[in-house]
Amino acid sequence: MGILRWWSGLLLAFGLVAVLRMFVPLPFANEIMIFSIYTIGCNFLLGRVGLISFGQPAYLAVGAYAAAFYFYYYGTNPYVGILLGIAAGILVSLVVGPLFVRLRSDYFALVNLALAVIIFFLMQKVLANITHGDNGLWFLTSLSSTPVLDLTRPNQFFVFALLVGFAVWAFYKYLDDTVYGACCLGTKINEDKLRFLGYDSFRIRLLAFVIANTTTALAGAMYAVYLGFVSPEITSPARAADPVVVTILGGVGTLYGPLVGAIAYTGMKDVLSKALGNWELIIGFLLVFIMLAGERGIWGTLEPRLVGLWSSLWRRRSPAEGREM
Amino acid sequence: MTDRAEIIRTEAVTKRFGGLVAVDQVSYRLKQYDVAGIIGSNGAGKTTFFNLLTGYYQPDEGVIRFREEDITRMSPQQRVARGLMRTFQLTSTFDNLSVVDNLVLAFFRAHRKATLFQLLRNTRKRLWHDPKILHTLETFSLQGLRDRMVKNLSLGEKRRLEIAMAVLTEPTVLLLDEPLAGLAESEIQGVLDVLRMQVGRQTILIVEHKLSHVQKFLQRLTVMHEGRVIADGDPDECLHHPEVRRSYWQIEVTAGDQGAPA
Repeated sequence: MGILRWWSGLLLAFGLVAVLRMFVPLPFANEIMIFSIYTIGCNFLLGRVGLISFGQPAYLAVGAYAAAFYFYYYGTNPYVGILLGIAAGILVSLVVGPLFVRLRSDYFALVNLALAVIIFFLMQKVLANITHGDNGLWFLTSLSSTPVLDLTRPNQFFVFALLVGFAVWAFYKYLDDTVYGACCLGTKINEDKLRFLGYDSFRIRLLAFVIANTTTALAGAMYAVYLGFVSPEITSPARAADPVVVTILGGVGTLYGPLVGAIAYTGMKDVLSKALGNWELIIGFLLVFIMLAGERGIWGTLEPRLVGLWSSLWRRRSPAEGREM
Repeated sequence: MTDRAEIIRTEAVTKRFGGLVAVDQVSYRLKQYDVAGIIGSNGAGKTTFFNLLTGYYQPDEGVIRFREEDITRMSPQQRVARGLMRTFQLTSTFDNLSVVDNLVLAFFRAHRKATLFQLLRNTRKRLWHDPKILHTLETFSLQGLRDRMVKNLSLGEKRRLEIAMAVLTEPTVLLLDEPLAGLAESEIQGVLDVLRMQVGRQTILIVEHKLSHVQKFLQRLTVMHEGRVIADGDPDECLHHPEVRRSYWQIEVTAGDQGAPA
């Protein structure tokens, strides 16, 4: 029963996304899945460890370009490209992490943004002979079909993204339940106390940094496979705040916030941009409203109400069930 | 008394902040199972000295030894690993976690291998029913608050939890920084009751601003004034020391000069 309860929320959430797929265009569904995986790392850093990063596109680009270089110059298997994206994410996080996680919140936010700017210019100008600068690397037609789930077909890619999303969420849910999860929350509000209990808060933050940015790099590699091309636009400083925006929109530190935020953000972008044009203006006002209204975001506001509703329904039903038995 | 092992020894420890000498050439000894206190008026240097012992600050001069090992330059984590556990003057808990999860964090570092792998492998839930945690909840009367978020506790409850966390780690020395500050009379008794249970099990060093509540509880007293130790020994004798009467007593006590402050 306990195990069932552990999985039921996850199954329900991703079941609903699968149902949503029937009512929305396929590109929209794929965009939601990748964007939510992109955001969950940022949500973990901000909500669990208390580190805000305005440079998540840097790690998205690391994953995307690692996959893109492989597809353009070496091979064709999408799964290998995604694995290389993950590996690149781990590698880059381990290289810059020990320097970055020593910094506290505001400097941490900016140093990541600086990294995003560096990678943007590296890909756009310095390494233009291998990245083709603003034109980007195109490899959509050279990706090879794969057995079981063929990632070159958008509908099968969606099933893959749904499964990856499910696995990522199960992992973060498990992380929340572990002693490590408690350490992360501890370092967020009282790092001194954690140190005086004997924990190495530096390592705890470094691991969180690696986990979060590797998830982001995974999303980057998935973008590369799905879109079939990668350009420096992916790490554009203009888009640096996107995952933070989606995190706040969905609800900072909530498990399903990134999923709800990604649906809301992508939905608004699609609907409002057609109707109004200046959709980012609406998002801006919405964020101001969310923060003034208590910073809990969409899922952060909905969740306690849904839980209350669910438990009151459950209480009303359970005596009847008892009699039937 | 004399055959008990020496746990902490400081040799002429000095700490300066700019031009101010906060701790001035303090040499101090603590023996196993001592129940000792350091008192002094505001700015006497007692909390700074305490922070030097726990590794929050490093001294400018002098040596700190723990069981004869030089720990002067060691980090707080290294000192904790050797058995020094502290509480904070401003109660320090994890307010965004439940009471039992706070205990889990204290327990895990002390009684399990706290490598990153082990931290990831163990769920908190699995540890909620560990006998040591259950026993601590009971001893410190925290069962009723077990699942409460710490941010919703009263100051007295938080202080009890903080001491419970420190005791749960079974340290060699329990260092308590003003454990009674800001507490109501009823809460003070609760905290003192749990401290009394540790007498004879652990070496206890308490830093207090006001002596009245801990005087009966202490076996040994050290009085600091302007960064220096001005008296050290039996609490009653200390309080009758002329320099203590001059520098500390006049600030703290208005009940005459013929006895210890009540």
